[in-house]
Amino acid sequence: MRWTFGTMGTVASILTEGDVAPLLRARVETIFEGYDQIFSLYRRESPLAAIARGELHLADAPDVVRDEYARAVRWRARTHGWFDPHRPDGVLDLSGTIKAVAMARAAEALAGDEARGVVSVGGDLLAIGGWQGRAGVADPADRGRLLADVDLGRRAALATSGSAERGDHIWSRAGSTDVLQATVRGHDIVTADVVATALVAAGTTEMDDLLESFDVDALVVTDAGMFASPGWPRPRASADLSPTSARG
Amino acid sequence: MNARTFVGGMIASGVILGVGAGVGTAAHQLTVSSVSTGGSATGTAAGNGSSGASSSGASSSGVDGTYTGASASTRFGDVQVQVTVSGGRITDVTALHLTDADGRSVQISNRAAPILRDEVLSAQSANVQMVSGATYTSEAYLTSLQSALDQAGM
Repeated sequence: MRWTFGTMGTVASILTEGDVAPLLRARVETIFEGYDQIFSLYRRESPLAAIARGELHLADAPDVVRDEYARAVRWRARTHGWFDPHRPDGVLDLSGTIKAVAMARAAEALAGDEARGVVSVGGDLLAIGGWQGRAGVADPADRGRLLADVDLGRRAALATSGSAERGDHIWSRAGSTDVLQATVRGHDIVTADVVATALVAAGTTEMDDLLESFDVDALVVTDAGMFASPGWPRPRASADLSPTSARG
Repeated sequence: MNARTFVGGMIASGVILGVGAGVGTAAHQLTVSSVSTGGSATGTAAGNGSSGASSSGASSSGVDGTYTGASASTRFGDVQVQVTVSGGRITDVTALHLTDADGRSVQISNRAAPILRDEVLSAQSANVQMVSGATYTSEAYLTSLQSALDQAGM
């Protein structure tokens, strides 16, 4: 079955091979709603919004807020600051990791029911139960087109970050970036999401350094063409594409 | 970065179990089991840590031979290094081949290479059921391929 619902300012789309009982669907939607109620900057009553207004100190926030802040700060260190929950305007924004954390929890709930399929939220995918389907990567220049397609095995997570339609979503201490879109395939969705975000923020000069630091595969679209890490599938080698190219 | 540079870096950081002189001062036991090449004595030495050195003859030139060091952990999992000592000096270092949990050969380097658009779209792309894209907003979703797939799937 396939079901969609709005959450976290975007759309969740969940595909499973069998049916998911209404109670479990409600539980999955509640997982996202729960995180959104606490971490959304667009909900006036959320602790994160209160912190942004200066009405609540992080030290007085619920434990989950401090725990997630600690998680985001660890990722800032691991990415040499290229993933950073602190916005240039001083606002603490945890949406980068929270979406992935919620996806992981939702996937656990579904996998616990022995579901097989894939959870997609705001452009990130997480396969569950050994899903054998095919995942695509959208073309940043044309949302209706595919750039690439891959399998999701043990590397069940596929996260894409982009600068093209980001608005304020990805800020960078470099100010601007030559990376239009980065897609990362990895073993867990938080890592994939953070590294994809960092790749966009950091630009091509830091691309190799970031890729060397994590056990992921990546497809990076820049203003000067595309790059892929060694583990990114290349089903059609370039030698097969050009009928007139000299071989060997 | 090739295997030798990578391993050279590991030695520099003291990660590899040292053989012979000057690599460290921890007193580890060397277990001599089997063997290889010439020199006055040969052996395979295994240590019980990620760094350390021969406890005997720390100031001597070391025992010639080929040694397999203890596993060192890297982002790929554990890597073992084979070191050849000749004339009291390390003359060769080889990272032993390993596969990761997915059964893939461990790549020492994860650097990205330029590729053409058509190289990464397979013949199976028509079977894609879920799309990853920088679709942050509900509005962007409506015009996306994912939205079309979701509607077709209903």
